[in-house]
Amino acid sequence: MITTSHYLILSTIILTIGIVGVLTRRNVLIVLMSIELIFNAVNINLVAFSKQLQNTIGQVFVVFVITVAAAEAAVGLGIVIALFRNKEKINLDEIDLLKW
Amino acid sequence: MLHVMGIPILNLVCYVPLAGFFIILLLDRKSVTAIKWTANLVALLDFILSIPLILSFNNPSYTDPLTNFRYIIKVPWITSLGAQYYFGIDGISLLLIMLTTLLGFIAVLSSWTAIEHRVKEYYALLLLLQTGMLGTFMALDFFLFYVFWEIMLVPMYFLIGVWGSERRLYSAIKFFLYTLAGSVLMLLGILALYFDYGRQTGVYTFNVIELQRIGFPFGLQYWVFLAFFVGFAIKVPMFPFHTWLPDAHTDAPTAGSVILAGVLLKMGTYGFVRFGLPLLPDASRYFIGIGGKSFPWMMWLCIIGIIYGALVALMQKDWKRLVAYSSVSHLGFCMLGIFAATPVAVQGGVLQMINHGLSTGALFLLVGNVYERRHTRLISEYGGLSHIMPLYATIFLIMTLSSIGMPGLNGFIGEFMILQGTFSDPTLRIWSGVAVVGIVLGAAYMLWLFQRTMFGEVTNPKNELLDDLNFREAFCYVPLIILSFWIGLYPQTFLRYLDDPVNRVVSKVRGSDYFKLSIPVADATTSPTVAPGTVVADRPAPHR
Amino acid sequence: MSLEISYWAVIPEIVLSLAGIVIMLLAPIVEPESRGRLGYLAFIGTVLAGAATAPLWNKSMVAFNGMITVDNYGTFLRLIFILIAALSILLSVHFNRREEINHGEYFALILFATAGMSLMAAGTDLIIIFLGLEILSIATYVLAGFKRSDVKSNESSLKYFLLGSFSTAFLLYGIAFAYGATGSTNLQNIRQALGAATQGTRLLGPQTNTLLLLSLALLIAGFGFKVATVPFHIWTPDVYEGAPTPVTTFMAVGPKAAGFAAFLRLLLTAMPAYHWYWAGILWILAALTMTLGNVVALVQPNLKRMLAYSSIAHAGYILIGMAAGRELNASPILFYILAYTLMSVGAFAVVLTVSGKGDLRVNLDDYAGLGFQQPVLSFALSLCLLSLAGIPLTAGFMGKFYLFTTAVQAGYVGLVIIAALNSVVSVFYYVRPVIYMFMRESTSPAPEISVPVPVIITLIITTIGTLWLGIFPAGFIQLAKESLLALK
Repeated sequence: MITTSHYLILSTIILTIGIVGVLTRRNVLIVLMSIELIFNAVNINLVAFSKQLQNTIGQVFVVFVITVAAAEAAVGLGIVIALFRNKEKINLDEIDLLKW
Repeated sequence: MLHVMGIPILNLVCYVPLAGFFIILLLDRKSVTAIKWTANLVALLDFILSIPLILSFNNPSYTDPLTNFRYIIKVPWITSLGAQYYFGIDGISLLLIMLTTLLGFIAVLSSWTAIEHRVKEYYALLLLLQTGMLGTFMALDFFLFYVFWEIMLVPMYFLIGVWGSERRLYSAIKFFLYTLAGSVLMLLGILALYFDYGRQTGVYTFNVIELQRIGFPFGLQYWVFLAFFVGFAIKVPMFPFHTWLPDAHTDAPTAGSVILAGVLLKMGTYGFVRFGLPLLPDASRYFIGIGGKSFPWMMWLCIIGIIYGALVALMQKDWKRLVAYSSVSHLGFCMLGIFAATPVAVQGGVLQMINHGLSTGALFLLVGNVYERRHTRLISEYGGLSHIMPLYATIFLIMTLSSIGMPGLNGFIGEFMILQGTFSDPTLRIWSGVAVVGIVLGAAYMLWLFQRTMFGEVTNPKNELLDDLNFREAFCYVPLIILSFWIGLYPQTFLRYLDDPVNRVVSKVRGSDYFKLSIPVADATTSPTVAPGTVVADRPAPHR
Repeated sequence: MSLEISYWAVIPEIVLSLAGIVIMLLAPIVEPESRGRLGYLAFIGTVLAGAATAPLWNKSMVAFNGMITVDNYGTFLRLIFILIAALSILLSVHFNRREEINHGEYFALILFATAGMSLMAAGTDLIIIFLGLEILSIATYVLAGFKRSDVKSNESSLKYFLLGSFSTAFLLYGIAFAYGATGSTNLQNIRQALGAATQGTRLLGPQTNTLLLLSLALLIAGFGFKVATVPFHIWTPDVYEGAPTPVTTFMAVGPKAAGFAAFLRLLLTAMPAYHWYWAGILWILAALTMTLGNVVALVQPNLKRMLAYSSIAHAGYILIGMAAGRELNASPILFYILAYTLMSVGAFAVVLTVSGKGDLRVNLDDYAGLGFQQPVLSFALSLCLLSLAGIPLTAGFMGKFYLFTTAVQAGYVGLVIIAALNSVVSVFYYVRPVIYMFMRESTSPAPEISVPVPVIITLIITTIGTLWLGIFPAGFIQLAKESLLALK
């Protein structure tokens, strides 16, 4: 029997992967993908809660999150491309004009 | 309420310089003469306007019988915080306001040739400063007082920083940060009183008179006294907090030094008389050591200030710095009188504030005169000036004697009253004795300065062709000299304004019983006004 | 439950979005040289939005099934946001021409971002708050990188984007937990669920409690990023320095204020039962934030960066008000946000005017001797800086005073003492540009600085506003108080 806890654990694992990805990987694209992972961890949570609580708010929220994530990804890639055109680098360690 | 041209007199006196500030801002930068004339006329007008304050001071229709403050203006301001626009003066503030308007005018007049660049901004700021100082002495609402107290810093900071001498940047920022740090602590103290008053009565107000009505618990008073002490003592300046003063004084332009010494320092002493002692009587007694039950912290600091200031002044090579350190010593005397909290001593302390304003203001002007001619302040550069500038030397002599407390001149009366008043309290008697050393040292450094600069042969050829004071420069000293002799010969003219407010302060600190034991007539709680003509100095020492 | 749809409740967002869309549609048609005029169109849009929002004052309604609430709290903040947008647009018109980034989308993005902020202030459902936040964030990511040819701007944008979406993810996680624990995303429903739980009618299970605490921590982290509190502040100086200055102006006040608006509503409406927890966390955050902001600002030679750290410090002061928010009303926060908006925009307006083409002259040395060359600009900058430092008769002093008194009343004496000491420290770096301007001689020949009319208008609004709030604050304090009644 798969309970809500199982979903929460799955979501936590994905969240951890995402956070570790953001913090350790230096390639902007992989960082972006890691952030998407966290968003999806949230989605799993929301759906699981929705199922457990027997109301639809969570699922509605998921639709919004997916939409927003798509918009964010689009903007993010746009920013990466703009930077790449000027610098031809997408490694975070080399983006160091500002002090960080 | 006294109105002139439909405006309450206090508003008029306070804001005429502000109006002058705006007029000068509108004038063209290049019309220097017009700017100078405007500034001088505005400052003179302000002084003239302040004369009715003293003329109709005892007119009962301008007096609030309950508080005995005069010319009261009370308008709601920030009602939700309990802050009012509340102006009013008593004898103490009256004398300080007169001193401010007089010195303000003299400072403006003395700058005629001293300031050559950025004239417009200079005069504008000088007038703005005037408004700030006057407002501080008039405010009876703690919030309003704080606003004026702080706002005054800004023009002074610019005056030192833009028109000062060599190390002006350092001195300006030091002055600004010191005073600001102190006043923030003071603000915390004010807030503590505000909230405790609110807790006790359910009403939140910054009205100082109201705050005085109730007693605050000793624990609170203790901390608030320390907060106020830091705020006011930095301004005075008292011993551990004095280090900003020599720098600020030395580097400020002459008019800035005059205002700084003459008026700004008095804000600290005024703060103690008006707020510190009456609001926090228990803590005051504790820290002053009245009754001999606690360690006399304040007395120690006053004495250290008096003697340390004098000793350091003795060693100065810089003329202006010497006068600056003499201020530390003299203000120590003022504080000694105020902390002694006997009627005579407090009156002496307040009178000494005026005296110091007159004599030290004049001394700074005198330094400014030669600095303008020679562009150096080193004492060793001068010598034998009495042969070249006889008028200058005469004025310098009078002011030196006034400063060291020569009988017949103002300084003597103030110092004598402080010493006598302090002596009259048996537990504080010893401090009076120690303070005498300060007078001796004061005579030493001032006379030595006089000897080194005025007497002897003219050794430095650069001094040989110096001009004596011109009419404008000499005119600046006329009112100061007249007042020095006036206070020295017949101080009663001024002291009678101090009787009632000082008695109120003393009865707050020592309890109204203090007067019943000594002279029943002057019981401040039942008969607010003392019969005019009471010779204060003759009052017998109270015995407790 | 019926679907109450009242478009009046979202009239500011509608007007702002429509104005943005119109500008987007016109942008390709208008000649490149006259695209600056689109800025004036956008300005008119904000004026219209303000006119449409003002009648909502003293109205209260719940619309869209409890998702949007019109109350004075929201209306007050929406008006502030519209003011911020209007001032930023005024600052941008000439700047964009000077920096050759004169594209119409710029103004549309500012309007969209403002619509997002406005939604955050009015939203009473976590979904709406999240959507508002995202509308705001996505628009600002683009704005930060609007100077596409400039690597610094790209970098600023990328950093803002990465950390921004990272923090959004945390925020979402927190929202998901809150939903899981209470079964709703509506603030009122969450409050009821928590209230019922803590009052013992239905004992809070240990799991639910853990979930809620986790949620609270994640929400604080998420909002902490948006309002730049320590330790979530690291992006701020870089992003502020790299972004075009009018965008920096906008970011320093707008998203920050919006973050505080939503955060405060969330804490006060939904989570008063957990006050003990969040007040403690905010206490520590406030102390850290203001101290770090002020201390690091001390050593910044770059004025934009200094103002960035100063904005961190000011976020710290506002956090004091939030921590003390429950015992009394939190109205000082609203007053402070308004005051901070005016003085901060004023300071940035001068900085972007002085900086010259390419945004190059932003260091303290560039201000040496400016005081008597550009008296008006220098006066405005000095006034705004003194106000930020908290000198009386300015908005900054009244704001701090009101904030600190309220906090003392709520018993946060320790925090107020820390804040007061911080204010003293802050004076040191706020007066430094003043020293440079008035007391140092310039080493290089005086540069040509032209002050365009829109900048002058902005400066007039901000300086008069700063003085007005400092001298006659009573009316605005009253407004702020009335606004907060709605949150009870």
